[in-house]
Amino acid sequence: MTSKQNLDDSPIDFAERIIGDVKNSKDEGVLKCVQCGMCTSTCPAARHSDYNPREIIERVLEGDTSILEDDLIWNCFYCYTCHSVCPVGNSVCEVNQILKQIAISNEIGYDKLYEYMGFADSYFTAAIGAIPEIFFEDIGRDVPGWWDFRNNLVDIREELELDPPLMPPKDVIDEVSLILTITGFKEKIEKIRASQEVEK
Amino acid sequence: MKSLPDKNILLFRSCLVSVEYPGVESSTKFVFDKLGIDYAISEKQTCCTGLGHYSDVFNQIDTSAIGARNFKIAKNLNRPNLVMMCATCYAINKKSVKLLNKKDDLRDHINQLFDENGLSHLKYEKDDLNPTENIFHVVDILYGKKDEIKKHIKYDLSEYKIATHHGCHYCKVHYEDTIAGFRDPNILDELVEACGCESIGWYDHKRATCGTGFRQRYSNPDLSFTATADKMNALGDEDVEILIHLCPNCHIQFDRYQHLISEREGRTFKAIHLNIAQFIALAMGGDFDKVIGVKAHTVPIDSVIKDLKEVDK
Amino acid sequence: MRDELKVGVFLCECGGNISDVIDLDEVRESLDVEFVGQFENLCSLNGRKIIRDAIFDYDLDRVVVAACSPISHEKTFQDYVKPLNPYLMDMANIREQCSWVHSDSKKATHKAITLINASIEKLKQSDAVDPIYCQTPDEVAVIGGGIAGMNAALSLAKQGIKVTIIEQSPSIGGHMAKIGKVFSPVKIAEECGMCLLNPILNELVWNENIEVITNAKVIEAERRAGTYNLIVEKSPRYVDTERCIACGKCKEVCEVEVPDDWNDGLSTRKAIYRPFGQSYPESYVIDMDNCSKCSECVKVCNMRAIKLKGRKEKMLLQVGSIIVATGHKLFDMSKRPEYGYYRYDDVITQSELGRITGVNGPTKGKLLKANGEIPKRIVMIQCVGSRDEKPDGHKYCSKICCTVALKNANIIKHKYPETDVVICYTDVRTPGMFEKYYKHTQENEVRFIRGRPGEVVKKGDNFIVRTEDTLKGEFIEIEADMVVLSTAMEPSDGTREIAEILNIGTTEDGFIKESHPKIKPVTTDVQGIFVCGTAQDPKDITESIMQATASASKVSEYNHGGVEIEPFIAEIDKEKCILCGDCISRCKYKSMSIQDDEVYIDPMSCNGCGKCLVGCRQKAIHVNGNIDEKIMATIKGVLSKKQPDQRMILVFLDNIGYTAADNIGVNRLSYPESIHIIKVISVNRVRPNHIKYALENGADGVFIGEFPGDLMYDEVERKVERIKETLGELNENPERLMFSKVYIPYFSGLARKLTDFDKKIEELDL
Repeated sequence: MTSKQNLDDSPIDFAERIIGDVKNSKDEGVLKCVQCGMCTSTCPAARHSDYNPREIIERVLEGDTSILEDDLIWNCFYCYTCHSVCPVGNSVCEVNQILKQIAISNEIGYDKLYEYMGFADSYFTAAIGAIPEIFFEDIGRDVPGWWDFRNNLVDIREELELDPPLMPPKDVIDEVSLILTITGFKEKIEKIRASQEVEK
Repeated sequence: MKSLPDKNILLFRSCLVSVEYPGVESSTKFVFDKLGIDYAISEKQTCCTGLGHYSDVFNQIDTSAIGARNFKIAKNLNRPNLVMMCATCYAINKKSVKLLNKKDDLRDHINQLFDENGLSHLKYEKDDLNPTENIFHVVDILYGKKDEIKKHIKYDLSEYKIATHHGCHYCKVHYEDTIAGFRDPNILDELVEACGCESIGWYDHKRATCGTGFRQRYSNPDLSFTATADKMNALGDEDVEILIHLCPNCHIQFDRYQHLISEREGRTFKAIHLNIAQFIALAMGGDFDKVIGVKAHTVPIDSVIKDLKEVDK
Repeated sequence: MRDELKVGVFLCECGGNISDVIDLDEVRESLDVEFVGQFENLCSLNGRKIIRDAIFDYDLDRVVVAACSPISHEKTFQDYVKPLNPYLMDMANIREQCSWVHSDSKKATHKAITLINASIEKLKQSDAVDPIYCQTPDEVAVIGGGIAGMNAALSLAKQGIKVTIIEQSPSIGGHMAKIGKVFSPVKIAEECGMCLLNPILNELVWNENIEVITNAKVIEAERRAGTYNLIVEKSPRYVDTERCIACGKCKEVCEVEVPDDWNDGLSTRKAIYRPFGQSYPESYVIDMDNCSKCSECVKVCNMRAIKLKGRKEKMLLQVGSIIVATGHKLFDMSKRPEYGYYRYDDVITQSELGRITGVNGPTKGKLLKANGEIPKRIVMIQCVGSRDEKPDGHKYCSKICCTVALKNANIIKHKYPETDVVICYTDVRTPGMFEKYYKHTQENEVRFIRGRPGEVVKKGDNFIVRTEDTLKGEFIEIEADMVVLSTAMEPSDGTREIAEILNIGTTEDGFIKESHPKIKPVTTDVQGIFVCGTAQDPKDITESIMQATASASKVSEYNHGGVEIEPFIAEIDKEKCILCGDCISRCKYKSMSIQDDEVYIDPMSCNGCGKCLVGCRQKAIHVNGNIDEKIMATIKGVLSKKQPDQRMILVFLDNIGYTAADNIGVNRLSYPESIHIIKVISVNRVRPNHIKYALENGADGVFIGEFPGDLMYDEVERKVERIKETLGELNENPERLMFSKVYIPYFSGLARKLTDFDKKIEELDL
């Protein structure tokens, strides 16, 4: 099949947008990719799925924005191995995170985030990043003795004489709740939740 | 090598340590006390957002704003050296300091939000903290006291087959600051050595991820556990009895799911899983229940360590 | 009257290098001079015509060339302004010190205007003076006895020039001696390396103009009146080369066995040994670090050539010029542990493979694994340590590794067609005729997989090479029983050391830098010092030889043409001089002496620092060329362009510091626009009144840099301290004045210091 590049196409804009993202720590790294594949050769997701970090950069450089909707980008482990070995100083791992944030800002991938809303909730209620309760059933099934352990947690901590307690004071929770409201986080979470609950 | 502090430390509490392996915190305190390290814990400090961040729920602005608040707490306590028990907290905080120093737009934006909402006391000034000189993992601090550790060893653990698993977010995110290698990470091996033991050193997939992959463990368990199995098989081939960790995330993946992966792979994995602070605390004579916190472990510690032999003095 | 001089300013676009950043239209409009010209390449012959025509048409008295650094093109433009006296031309460096270090176009344009104005004001104080010509000694030192050094020496010797080769190992020959076979793109075949090296070695040995000193290193160097005085430290060999007949009886009785570095440690040798079969001097040598001093060798030596006692000797070597041919070393594989080099015997480097396949190697040319079997599949991994921006890696391509891999693959295929050879590559770089050799290799059934492997692990008896086949987009694990790593070439320790000793510029990668690869090839930043071979950058044998010959030719030019010296040196008024001799004792450069009842000043060693004239009670000395006035005029020229709220920092550097500053631009690093660099012939010529004037009239800070090897360094440092104290007494903040060391190789350090100083001045908030 032939793919055509028209005179007015500017495929590099996509890469430039990623370079301009606040999260990018590798300057022009994306543009320097020579497709050597070292990222893929050390990538756990490439080893066990169709995820291919080299191809992520290939598609970014082609200006292929359909990648934002590609489920495969959600397979990255964020293990940063590619980031630590890339010979041209690029980081697919960071690019991947930026792609997802762009996707989310385009209201793509809300379904992927929905299960993780617990992280947001626990922050507003306890300023802690607890594993979302939605997964407790799976954990209870997969991990022998986990429920017992959870029920004994307070006693275990007491025996270890751990202080301060798990839950921070109320003024702390209020302060971080305010921060997460003014950054726009709260609004985003509510939007994601609303959209998913409507679908359900 | 960078200079490693032993005072003015804020020991940064970790959510996962608190609710999954509280023994890591008590062991760290136990070891720090033995080594005469000056540290404190603050109840005002909150979670780094790491788990939510790497599940893509928090974006960089959310995370760095929360970071700025925690950094200010450290500054106000005159404890500018943040020391993390969790690799994710380490990577997240180091990145936030880097970005807040380097990216004027991000810093100005966050400071403006603080100003407009009565939070001016949290504002971050450029270079308030230095990513290399203020942000550490517990292993860095222990590394700075390697020789001191040797003096406090009570029990001889050298008969066990020991391997190390280095958390990705300690080694590979900010690799320029990683001590003792990131392509072949060795800081844990050197700390094990300081306890009078020898690790097996390199094994296949030594530098690879534990397989947690944040969302992968819950949303993509097949992928996650296959990656873990790579590592468990390699460790199984080497007959490893103790795997040393530095991150509660990895710790969960190996300790909580060893049974499940054994079933999936059709072979028995026998290793127990200890954080390096727990391992050193154990070697220094820390109590199983009161310091090491073995009750929080899924693979029973006494399945491998049955009795303790004192070192020959 | 000086204000009425007609000045012409010529702006060079430098093919966009300047005009892309600096708005030359704005510069032109800002200038109030007799004539302004602009051209895309002023250094071209067309540029010469523009300059000459304008000088005649507008009757110009003074010419400013606003272009690159005077370090690169001052000589060119001094020639272009003829018949105007060369010192009535001044260059405003708006490339290396403006467009290459600043990206903000508006600020860079204003700085260019400032620099040009400084040149105009300086020129108004300039007078016509004539350059001085000097002759240097013909003798040459070649440092390094590898293929490059040998060829350079031979070429010079054949032109009748006396050459001394200084080699740190016990034999000359270098890497080529151990390389086994070399490739010949013309024949599409591999040839015996030693057979090509040996004739050169023999010719060199028999040439009467060449002296070879082995086991020796240059440890100190200084230059006096065009002569380099090199202190060479020679380590003892413990075997008298005059007596030794290389019979080898000694090695038979020696019981010490150590890894043989000539075989990359793949075999062993004795503590008394001959480096290799054709080594020169043709004599044994003792490795005293490993010798047990049992004396058995002494007993069996019929020639009485062996003495177990010996000490290092220092010798003085005086030469007129130096060729640096100190070569390269190979990438340290402990920096890429994932490839398992230090874990597994059968993971080797291309260099080791060269030894294994060499007939004079550890296996007599048989390709064998550590267990003695012939490998079934060999995987070669390219770009190990090259094209790699990660810590300890090299950003550059090592240039020869593709062809080396092809060569070794072909050698294997000729002898062991059953062995599968796979080359994992990112790009196969075989320019020119080497492409034919690449095709030849493919015809030999060598296989190529496009991908950069992530790791090599051992599974059972074999290795697994993990890579992506990027053409298929597939992650693969290649089973292999031997892995060969194509390691990067990097500057040898000797190259790094000699750069420091001679204070010659290096590239950011640590190789010796050519002044300019096109207009001053093989020439270093220091007059009379040349470079060739892999000390300069990665290259193959053929290129090393060509560059060696080029460096010999440059030495020859230098010997014949003499040296042109800037005339800004001290001069004695014989009428006033009473021969008190004070100046002779004051001169740090020992350039003054009494000859024939007159004070004589050696023009090659005088650097115009002015120390003598300050102390002369008779006021019988002056330095040619209105130096003080020119410095003051330059300062005024810079400060008169200061804008409200603009921070202005004046930086005074002599030739060395200025070269380092240029290197910041050449390497595209940056520093703040507030930095204005003023080139002076000696930092000592910057007087307290210059500094005081600058700080009182708009300069926010003054930075003085000096090379610690300069004989005036201590003096200048003390002087700056005194001025700081005076500033303190006058209630001025002494922090506004800064003194700092500068070195040509550490240009990045200078950039950082300038940036830090700017920040400090900003914080002082004047």
